[in-house]
Amino acid sequence: MTIASDILQAVLPAMLGAPDAAHAPIQPVGAGAWWIGLIPALPLLSCILCGVCAAIKVKSKLPAWLTVLCLGISFMLTVWMFQQFAGGRSVTVAWEWINLGWTDSQGQRQALVANFGFYVDSLTCLWMLFVTGLATLIALYASEYMSHDVGAGYCRFFAAFGLFVFSMACLVMGDNLILLYLGWEGVGLCSYLLIGYFYKKPSAVAAAKKAFIMNRIGDLGLALGVFLAFVQFGSVEYKVLLDAARPYIEAAQAGHFDEIPFTVQLIPILLMVGAFGKSAQLPLYVWLPDAMEGPTPVSALIHAATMVTAGVYLIARTYPLFLVSEYALPIVAWVGALTALVAATIGMAQFDIKRIMAYSTVSQLGYMFAGLGVLTSTGAAFHVFTHAFFKASLFLACGAVMHGFAGQLDLRKLSGVGFMKGWQVVALAMLVGCLNLAGFPFTAGYFSKDMILAEAFVTPHMAPIGWILLLTAGLTAYYTFRVFFRVFVGPKSFEPGDEVHAHADHAHGDHGHGDHGHDAHGDHAHAADHGHGHAAGHGSGEFHPHAPGWAINFVLAALTVLSIGAAGLYFLGDHGGWVAKMVHESSANLPAVAHDAHGSEGHAHGTFLGMDPHKVMYYVSGIVGAVGIIIAFGLHYLGRKTAATANADKLVPLLGPIPKLAQGKWFVDEIYDFLIVKPLHLVSIVFAYVDKLLVDGLVNTFGWIPRAFGSGLRPLQGGNLHGYAVQMAGGVALLLLIVFLASIAGL
Amino acid sequence: MELVLLILIPLVFAALIALRPAQESKFLAVIGTLLAAAVGVNALGRFDWGSPGAMQLEAAWAWLPALGLELSVGVDSVAMLLIALTLLLGPICVFCSFTAISQKERTYYAWLLVLQAAMTGVFCARDVVFFYTCFEFTLVPMYVLISLFGSTNRKAAATKFFLYTFTGSVITLAGLVYVGWYNATQLESVGIETAGRWTFDIGALEAAAQAMPANIQGWLLLAMMCGFAIKIPLFPVHTWLPLAHTEAPTAGSVVLAGVLLKLGTYGMFRFVLPFVPAAMIEFAPVIATLSIIGILYGGLICWVQTDVKKLVAYSSVAHLGFCILGLASLNTVGITGSVLYMINHGLSTGALFLLIGMVYERFHTRSMKELGGLAAHMPVWATFMVFFTMASVGLPGLNGFISEFMCLMGAFQAGDAWGSLPGGTGGSLGFWYALIAGLGMIVAAMYLLYMVGKVVWGPLVLPAGHHHPGHGAGHGGGHGHGHHDGHGHSHGPLPRDLCEREIFVLLPLAVLCLVLGLFPQPVIRALEPAVNRVVETIHLAGERPEKGHGVQASAPATGSAPEVMMVSSGHEGGGK
Repeated sequence: MTIASDILQAVLPAMLGAPDAAHAPIQPVGAGAWWIGLIPALPLLSCILCGVCAAIKVKSKLPAWLTVLCLGISFMLTVWMFQQFAGGRSVTVAWEWINLGWTDSQGQRQALVANFGFYVDSLTCLWMLFVTGLATLIALYASEYMSHDVGAGYCRFFAAFGLFVFSMACLVMGDNLILLYLGWEGVGLCSYLLIGYFYKKPSAVAAAKKAFIMNRIGDLGLALGVFLAFVQFGSVEYKVLLDAARPYIEAAQAGHFDEIPFTVQLIPILLMVGAFGKSAQLPLYVWLPDAMEGPTPVSALIHAATMVTAGVYLIARTYPLFLVSEYALPIVAWVGALTALVAATIGMAQFDIKRIMAYSTVSQLGYMFAGLGVLTSTGAAFHVFTHAFFKASLFLACGAVMHGFAGQLDLRKLSGVGFMKGWQVVALAMLVGCLNLAGFPFTAGYFSKDMILAEAFVTPHMAPIGWILLLTAGLTAYYTFRVFFRVFVGPKSFEPGDEVHAHADHAHGDHGHGDHGHDAHGDHAHAADHGHGHAAGHGSGEFHPHAPGWAINFVLAALTVLSIGAAGLYFLGDHGGWVAKMVHESSANLPAVAHDAHGSEGHAHGTFLGMDPHKVMYYVSGIVGAVGIIIAFGLHYLGRKTAATANADKLVPLLGPIPKLAQGKWFVDEIYDFLIVKPLHLVSIVFAYVDKLLVDGLVNTFGWIPRAFGSGLRPLQGGNLHGYAVQMAGGVALLLLIVFLASIAGL
Repeated sequence: MELVLLILIPLVFAALIALRPAQESKFLAVIGTLLAAAVGVNALGRFDWGSPGAMQLEAAWAWLPALGLELSVGVDSVAMLLIALTLLLGPICVFCSFTAISQKERTYYAWLLVLQAAMTGVFCARDVVFFYTCFEFTLVPMYVLISLFGSTNRKAAATKFFLYTFTGSVITLAGLVYVGWYNATQLESVGIETAGRWTFDIGALEAAAQAMPANIQGWLLLAMMCGFAIKIPLFPVHTWLPLAHTEAPTAGSVVLAGVLLKLGTYGMFRFVLPFVPAAMIEFAPVIATLSIIGILYGGLICWVQTDVKKLVAYSSVAHLGFCILGLASLNTVGITGSVLYMINHGLSTGALFLLIGMVYERFHTRSMKELGGLAAHMPVWATFMVFFTMASVGLPGLNGFISEFMCLMGAFQAGDAWGSLPGGTGGSLGFWYALIAGLGMIVAAMYLLYMVGKVVWGPLVLPAGHHHPGHGAGHGGGHGHGHHDGHGHSHGPLPRDLCEREIFVLLPLAVLCLVLGLFPQPVIRALEPAVNRVVETIHLAGERPEKGHGVQASAPATGSAPEVMMVSSGHEGGGK
């Protein structure tokens, strides 16, 4: 009961104690500028143009260049928006979307208002900067990566890509929860379309469907949260909602949660269900690893850098609502921490490098949620930001490997890639990405993860979260470098992926039979990620890895530089750096005050084994990360002669069933299937029979009754039209007659 | 006058088609429906959107003066929009039948036009008996379309459709006529303007019905719901629908899903809510519960279908559940959402039936076991299919979302727990109703994506015997298998993917789905006054017992003595 109040007592007093802070005039909502609307509009335009390209059967890379151009301009506008509007808050209404009014029982006029409008503050700018920036870079990368599919598939890919950025922009920039919901489901659609890009592959189709449905479960929670927010505050617009929670903060700080209406406290609980779905948290995380069926640029952009952080955005955006709820933030913290741990344990035991990255994304998202839960929205946002860059570069590096080795992703079949000709940029990008992910000292990931870890120990009652996250940090460093030591260094050796064979199969299957030669590559997706023509000799000859070209190398280099540079943001400005400043200026700003409170030393806060977490955590997490890397070095690099076997294999038997269980993803999918999907399917079949036999059967029974009266009535059921027409006319006439007689009787 | 023309034009052209040779049928049907649409556009222009809640474009002729029967027409924004939907689907139904219907063309197109006239009549009728006549008359053309032009089991489907809906609506008529009788037998002093004389004017009877004692209202509600619930269809009286849909020809399914089902919901909006508001308040949880059962039960049944048309048919049961839930929430957001749903469901489900019809014309099967991965075979078709599926699944940005969201939101707002909060309206639904109905959103994603996953995505599967270039191996053998009607490979002039005519049929629907999803506000603004008029009626009815008129107390339970009732209802009338 008291956990939340303790937290808030420790964290909020500075703001609430000082009258000037508590009653500071709420920053007015200013007017935006028309061109802000172009930021979402340009990606939509690129989507439409790609659709046109598909319609006129463009067979070049034109769609990619159109997309890169539109997204690039969109990014530049975002930078401009950041310069003009960060720090304040403004609303730009593009058009009136929903506005429905009525008079309530007190005679007050109420209205459901949701405009197609854009709310811009620093948080918006922060998110949009990396969304549009990364989208531009990844579109450039994809222009090369998807080149095997030039034609209808290429157009389809970039159309969905543009639509995704549009949806994401609506999600982040929308000025009300319903527009956020539009973006929310819009990114879900694009995710569905892009996961299922290789639509001939049943596994891709299944993964796409799973992602959509899992997200829908979360969306229901979000929708209910929106409803309740409207019912409670009479609005879904941020400019009303975010300030509406303020009166309750005082009560929350005093621990008097019973003074806060139950409905107010329920809103964040409902909203967070949506966040858990979109950001792949327990128990709704299982869709994300499967989403790796999509092309790798999609995994990088949607399933690592941007879309999956929407849940973090939602909570950060509506942070004031979360702060006035007794249980909301503790739940978020626990769910985040447990997700981080569970996903990391699974990630340790996987062999598919893209899946390892997927689990690490789930795990890192858990960190972000834990960060929000332990009241460091700054740390969460910073981690979102740094993670976006380094995880994108990790995925793109994995994608380059996949691209070059005919779809090979098994770390037991690849080794020493970094020493092969033309792979240096990829290896370097991978190394930097791994260092970031492992939290190696002075990398960006180190600073952002630190912020969350330290705050977990600072915030009262949250120390267990801190320990879980610390353990997870070690596991993360281990599984990250497991990939690096296995795939990128060590003896040079590889086995190409099955797409060589798949391609050979194609030759005898789909493609060989003169299938309208011109659209064979367009309309028919390749059965696997790559049908690269470089498989010389149709699988029978020697395989040559296909080193990445300039676009892939350029993007990887740029991301590497950016992910290193992100660390610099920590030192830009004071107290947590640039991201902290951005968060402080936005609706997620309350914990910013918490930092000031700590700074004043006036309040007892949690410690790390008696030491100040803020100071000691730099060393602790650095050591934990280094230990993880060293273990990975020992188990996966030292003395490794081949790609397939390493020292770690000797350890496996000692651990009993654990590696098997972790490799099987703790069989969560199977459990869901057994507990939910299968029974529901059974129920559906029962329903179908009930409907046929019972519900309809009853009707048929009634239908048979007249028939039982013999042939006199036969014409009525004879199925001929005249019978029915006459019957109906007769019925009408009869009733009119009754009316007529009644009228005579009555008058 | 426009409204009368809208009814007459299709009738005249139906007569022409019947008289002229069969070769001209298509042409006449096109002209007739397009002409009606043009007049409809004119009517939309003449409609005063500044006061959309008022009855407009009215016209009336005496019919049977002794009984007060009038042929009177008039529309508010709700009716106007539904007429617009009917007129839009008219030409689409004609165009989509060009290749599908090759025999008895005169019968087909003539009845199609008669059907359109009858449906238009329902929406613009201002006289109860005229309404009912049109309402029932929709059955005859639909019966013919199903029984003559349907697939294998068409006779049984048509018979069931006819008898089922007819039986229910006779009871509706009885209820409506009772209101007329009640009105005519009141003394003029009771405050009902038309008391004491015979009239079947909807507005007049509305006032009369509202003045009825609560228990009579309850019976009246049940009587009216008999017909409307079957038409909608509400669980558990829905079983005629999947059968009729599956067996009907494509245009029949489009009209059935697009407009005919809306006759029931429109009837609820026009009659049940304003006539018996007090009873509606009482019965709202029951109706909402049935609609939620329909949402989940219908949705789950969809999930295990193998016949793609049956799947979409059952999805109508689930979708219309949302529509009724919105009506049962009895507040502005819910009812507006419900009316929007009527239009949106007509667009998206109508389009899905068109798309399924197009595949059926090519492969003569609707089985998902025999069809798969058509994205590779018919990319344009697949694009439309995914688009309309998303509209149907309620994806924001497309039309279905706004209405579904508002229906759920209305149900959520109608909770007793938050009657006093700014956004709450009070009522007998609330959180749990919205939550459980909201599960329908998930189920909808399950069954629609299951359908798309089978039919659009995945490895290409075509019915045995269907040969297509470049896909010889494994699919080449077994000519002639699996064809229901022995048409073999003669899919006439149809190309592999959609032809221009088919794209032309789908495009307006797609554009409307997008426009209504992104720019719904003009429609919402138009609906607001019309809906609020009904909501205020319900509010007044809800407040009545508190004002102490003691309706129930003073009225005899049977309602068989109108003179006694007049006393109590007279007070109410005066009190307003």
